[in-house]
Amino acid sequence: MRSRDGSFTILLRFYTLILFNTLTLSASEYLISYRYIVKDAILYNESLQISQAMQKCQGSMQKTLLLDSNGTKNLQKIVSLNHEKFISFINSIGLDISHKESSVNFQNHSTTILTLPTTCFKVDFNDNFAKISSLK
Amino acid sequence: MRYSLILIVLLTSSLFSDTEQTMENMENANVTVVCPTTEAPSVLEENKDIRISVVGQGVAPMHTASPAQAYALAKRAAVADAYRLIAEKVKGVRVEGDDLIKNMMVKRSTVRTTVKAMVKNASVVETQFKDGLCEVEMEVSLSYSDFTH
Repeated sequence: MRSRDGSFTILLRFYTLILFNTLTLSASEYLISYRYIVKDAILYNESLQISQAMQKCQGSMQKTLLLDSNGTKNLQKIVSLNHEKFISFINSIGLDISHKESSVNFQNHSTTILTLPTTCFKVDFNDNFAKISSLK
Repeated sequence: MRYSLILIVLLTSSLFSDTEQTMENMENANVTVVCPTTEAPSVLEENKDIRISVVGQGVAPMHTASPAQAYALAKRAAVADAYRLIAEKVKGVRVEGDDLIKNMMVKRSTVRTTVKAMVKNASVVETQFKDGLCEVEMEVSLSYSDFTH
């Protein structure tokens, strides 16, 4: 039979674990990466990854974007509602460009890859809008 | 025979005296070596911004769900092309070429170009979509302060 003190320590551990997880998960910092590939002037693949940061990000705020949130606190939903606006914001932050073009016997093939490396964003959710700021 | 010997002695002495003089001249002369400078004149000036404008082209895929989707996809491709053109203008292109010639005939001709860069603050100025081709005009302004850090 477990003693009272023993169960107390287990409970303490359990509560600290919950507290720790809630603190880290409720942090309004997100890691976002974006990449799209254009092959022979046709969009081939596009991916936007959004995930909550599990560690506190370092750096100061750079550029800011305000998006209509319609009351939701889900960043993925907010971004999908304002997709074009968010993509142009990402473009203004800066994209890595890698372009390869080959012309074999005068037949041309090209591949362009635009990438936003995984970047930390601070997000403040309000009633009607979300304020997204890139950290650097 | 004597005369010839005297002549030889005189000639050799005159030759040595000439070389000594030239050596002295070389030592006394201030030689300035001029090397061709490789420094290109700076394009960016402190108070003048340079605006680079390009037109990127993109094509809509053959099978799309709607004309709106075709437009969106073509625009995305056109923006990528415009970014590539900006990178080419600002940073440059690496070009490699190979020609395979066999029996005095060109069997295979290959040209490869690569561009790698990072572009910030480029903005779309104008977008046109006609007959499945999307053209996007993009601009980026370069200032001296961007490159001082």
